[in-house]
Amino acid sequence: MSRIAAVLEKEFADLRENPGVFLPAVLTGLASLAVPFFVAILVPAMTGEPLSESSDFEIAVEMYRSEPAAAGLSAEGAIQAWIFQQFLVMLIFTPVAASMSVAAFSVVGEKQARTLEPLLATPITTVELLAAKVLGAAIPAVVLGTAIFATYVIGVAILGEPGAWHVLLRPRSLAVMFVLSPLASLASLQLAVCVSSRVNDPRSAQQIGVLILLPIAGLLGAQLLGSLELTTEVSLSIAAGLTVLNVALMWLGVRIFDRESILLRWK
Amino acid sequence: MAFVANVLSAHHLTRRFGDRVAVDDVSFDLAAGEIFALLGPNGSGKTTTLRMLAGLIAPSSGSVSMDGQTLGPESATRLRREIGFLTESPGLWDRLSVRRNLSVYARLYGLPQPGKAVDEALGLFDLASRADDRAAHLSKGLKQRVALARALLHDPRIVLLDEPTAGLDPESARDVRELVLRLRHRRRVVLLSTHNLDEVERVADRVAVLRSRLVALDTPAALRARLFEPRVRIVLSEAAQRFAGALQATGAGDVRFDGAEISVRLDGALTTGALVRHLVQAGAEIESVVQEQPSLEAVYLKLLHEDGSPS
Repeated sequence: MSRIAAVLEKEFADLRENPGVFLPAVLTGLASLAVPFFVAILVPAMTGEPLSESSDFEIAVEMYRSEPAAAGLSAEGAIQAWIFQQFLVMLIFTPVAASMSVAAFSVVGEKQARTLEPLLATPITTVELLAAKVLGAAIPAVVLGTAIFATYVIGVAILGEPGAWHVLLRPRSLAVMFVLSPLASLASLQLAVCVSSRVNDPRSAQQIGVLILLPIAGLLGAQLLGSLELTTEVSLSIAAGLTVLNVALMWLGVRIFDRESILLRWK
Repeated sequence: MAFVANVLSAHHLTRRFGDRVAVDDVSFDLAAGEIFALLGPNGSGKTTTLRMLAGLIAPSSGSVSMDGQTLGPESATRLRREIGFLTESPGLWDRLSVRRNLSVYARLYGLPQPGKAVDEALGLFDLASRADDRAAHLSKGLKQRVALARALLHDPRIVLLDEPTAGLDPESARDVRELVLRLRHRRRVVLLSTHNLDEVERVADRVAVLRSRLVALDTPAALRARLFEPRVRIVLSEAAQRFAGALQATGAGDVRFDGAEISVRLDGALTTGALVRHLVQAGAEIESVVQEQPSLEAVYLKLLHEDGSPS
């Protein structure tokens, strides 16, 4: 464990010296925050037409009012809660983007600087090195994702209708943020790590990692079109799939992070 | 020099990459307090040999043993604890300070007092004033010095140095050589892979010439004696050609004249003393007598030429 901690210390020190690596994730986070507030609060305020008077949201009000968490909300509050709930999936983009950036930067950066060989000449095992690389990308990603979620909840509490923010603390919302989001981040960073062993440019690794974003965008679309509701059960089913994917990527990662492969095949 | 038991041994080390044999049946032993130089052209398998000795890559066949115990994949971690490996490139984390670069390694080696070990290394390598500088801001020589400090941080018994003075200015190269000599005094095993024959000449106890397989392995003096016959160079105060007859009488087989200089091959029973005596008796005024010593470069090139196999 002390060797993992030593490499983690290095990873975090390196990130502190290069905060620019978080820029794509922060921009993604800001965009993820802006879109739902734009739809649920800014547009009605600018047009002077409350959401509850729009026929587009009648069904949403009916659906949402039937749920206990929305029972005490005003019509406007219920629609806002529905919108904020639907867009919650977008917040997953932030930790996914962060973990991809950090992992790609970390592994490709080490390759470019030729810092891996002296590291591998120490008693560290390759599993320890892989674990440190994964944790070094996952921890900042989860922290950033949690910060974005906290900002989202606080923003809804301040700018939204009274009580609308309560729906963001229901189990189904928390399952999205604290089960789906870390698993998706882990999958994207493991994918980035695997790809990083074969490329010499962090952007190439990030582009492959974007593959994880596509199904998340699909989830958002399916929700907004009404063809899927991300209930706790659905979230857990997707989480099960992501777990299998993560185990497969971990298996692949351990093989790629073999000492000989790193020294002889990572070009 | 009397060496004690072997610390590290290579037994018939062979490493193939596909159809290419990078290292072919290489064996040698390294003893405490010995500086061993590995010479060879580019692509001759020096780095691959070092990597196998450091437990970084496995041999296709053959083995490495430490203190007489054969090492396998399961004991590679133990081997790496005992080894300090200076890789071809310094491989420092550029954004981190010198101190941070070293402290991460101190923790990776599980040193009981990492901070103290880092401070000592900074002092020993004269890096204390640059401890808080980013590695990216250091000169090439300083980076190499930090890399050396890192390789020796845990006071390893075995030190593997891959091209330690490549690209360094003469002063930095001298510092590295002095450090290597200090390691000998501390009874460390030092294996040096280099193209710098002058450096080898100055520090190495034994030399191995590698061209995938071992072309030669011996002390520099023994290699010279094996490849070149002894010659003596005598400088006179006048034209040397005048004494050709006197030299013929000594039975010298190969005599070369160059102005006031004579170079004579010492064949059979002919000694330097007998040669000087004959010349003095013939009326020559001798200014100096020097045993000719072919450079290690000449030895190395002759070995490769005689070997003739493609690298």
